[in-house]
Amino acid sequence: MNTALSLAVIFLIINLAAGLVRVARGPSPEDRMLAALLFGSTTVAVLLILAQLMEIPALRDVALLFGLLAAIISVAFVALPADHDRDEEDSWR
Amino acid sequence: MSVLEIVSTGLLAAGCFFYLAGTIGLLRFPDVHSRLHALTKADNVGLFLVCLALTLLGESLRVALLLLLIWLLGLLAATVSCHLIARHSIRRKGGRSG
Amino acid sequence: MGISLVIDVLLALGLVGLALQVVAGPSLFRSIVLFVVFGLVMALAWARLHAPDLAMAEAAIGAGITGALLLMTYRRLVELNPEKRGETYLGSRWLAAPVGVLTGVLVGLIGWAALQLPPGDTTAGTLARDALDETGVSNPVTGVLLVFRGYDTLLEMGVLLLAFLGARAVASGRAHSPGTSEVSEPALVGALLSLVVPLTILVGIYLLRAGGHAPGGAFQAGAVLAAGGVLLSLTGRLVPTDHTPLVQRLVLVLGLLVFSGMGLFMLFAGSAMLSLPGTWAIYLVETALMISIALPLALLFAQAPGLKGRGH
Repeated sequence: MNTALSLAVIFLIINLAAGLVRVARGPSPEDRMLAALLFGSTTVAVLLILAQLMEIPALRDVALLFGLLAAIISVAFVALPADHDRDEEDSWR
Repeated sequence: MSVLEIVSTGLLAAGCFFYLAGTIGLLRFPDVHSRLHALTKADNVGLFLVCLALTLLGESLRVALLLLLIWLLGLLAATVSCHLIARHSIRRKGGRSG
Repeated sequence: MGISLVIDVLLALGLVGLALQVVAGPSLFRSIVLFVVFGLVMALAWARLHAPDLAMAEAAIGAGITGALLLMTYRRLVELNPEKRGETYLGSRWLAAPVGVLTGVLVGLIGWAALQLPPGDTTAGTLARDALDETGVSNPVTGVLLVFRGYDTLLEMGVLLLAFLGARAVASGRAHSPGTSEVSEPALVGALLSLVVPLTILVGIYLLRAGGHAPGGAFQAGAVLAAGGVLLSLTGRLVPTDHTPLVQRLVLVLGLLVFSGMGLFMLFAGSAMLSLPGTWAIYLVETALMISIALPLALLFAQAPGLKGRGH
């Protein structure tokens, strides 16, 4: 069982790294904000699996914290100036 | 491995599959809105399956309820994030989003 | 443990890669997003190192509050200099290589020194763990923070207060609301607030209470409450005031007062300064610390001397 859990963790981390490509490339700032979405969900899953694998129940509390923070960070992301003058995809790179 | 562990492993694998699907959508879809769509839907289901798999392995009712709460919180965060990001994208491009 | 090693190597590589991207990236906004991601991966690393307290603190403070602060700063910078929107700071590039090498040597030295440590009974950690029962808590982190290294925590509260005072001293003087005021708010935000804010308070109090016997404690709880305050400030439910109201002034110094008051009282009562007379004292001090950590963090984010409800 532990092997299966470890493999799942490795898979999810690689998943995370692949998602990072989207953050790095953009092109728009919203694409980068998507990363917050992806990372929030994936890290919560990784923490929950680690809680079972390493037998540290406190990691579930950490996952709870992550969930709360994901909601707050996403609101922080979109409280950004929305410029209506021109399409600015290039300058946000 | 007992039956419980086999079922749990299967659910875990299914969850990972959905996470993979979400990431593929994130990388391959043509624009922000379709990427959001792929990511939120697939990742939510993935998280649900992972939580379900871990509930089967967990020791107590408290763990099961905590996992349920965490999944619901993830659902909430993903829903709001998706809506706000999509809205931000439309507004930034000068459209109206109501 | 072959497979665990793979997990740890992946995390380590990820951390280094992310750090490189944050510092050397072409766009400031991209670097900020990657910094938040870095904080999350760092929290995973702490989890792998069997340190859930640190994972919580890293997630709440490192990724959450610092990330929100950076974003607000970015927004302010763009407002002040709209023509420089996409720029990053291109500092002295020739410093990069020497600083990098120096840092690498330093980290290597620390790692080598850590490996040279004598194992077992002579280290301070073992002594502290053996004496843990006398502190009245069973979580070793809380025991160290509040009992064995109480001065540290006391002075950290002073640092936080100083940071707030310093921010006030350099503030421009006009109350600046960081929330989105011009655009109409989606209905979803109100629903989010009604669910998340009570949950924040609940989780904060739970973490405080759990700190005695499980990972948690005043810092994590305070950071969670501050995050709730940040959310209320972002959505305009809490607006800045012109001056700090009396109650908030009290709250700002409450942690310092209670902790040092308790410590001085113990001194006069005959035992060592800053020793705490029992578990009830620890919870009292921790509660005071929690709100004294939450308020300055929220005020620093809101760039305000005080906060009040929207309708007042």
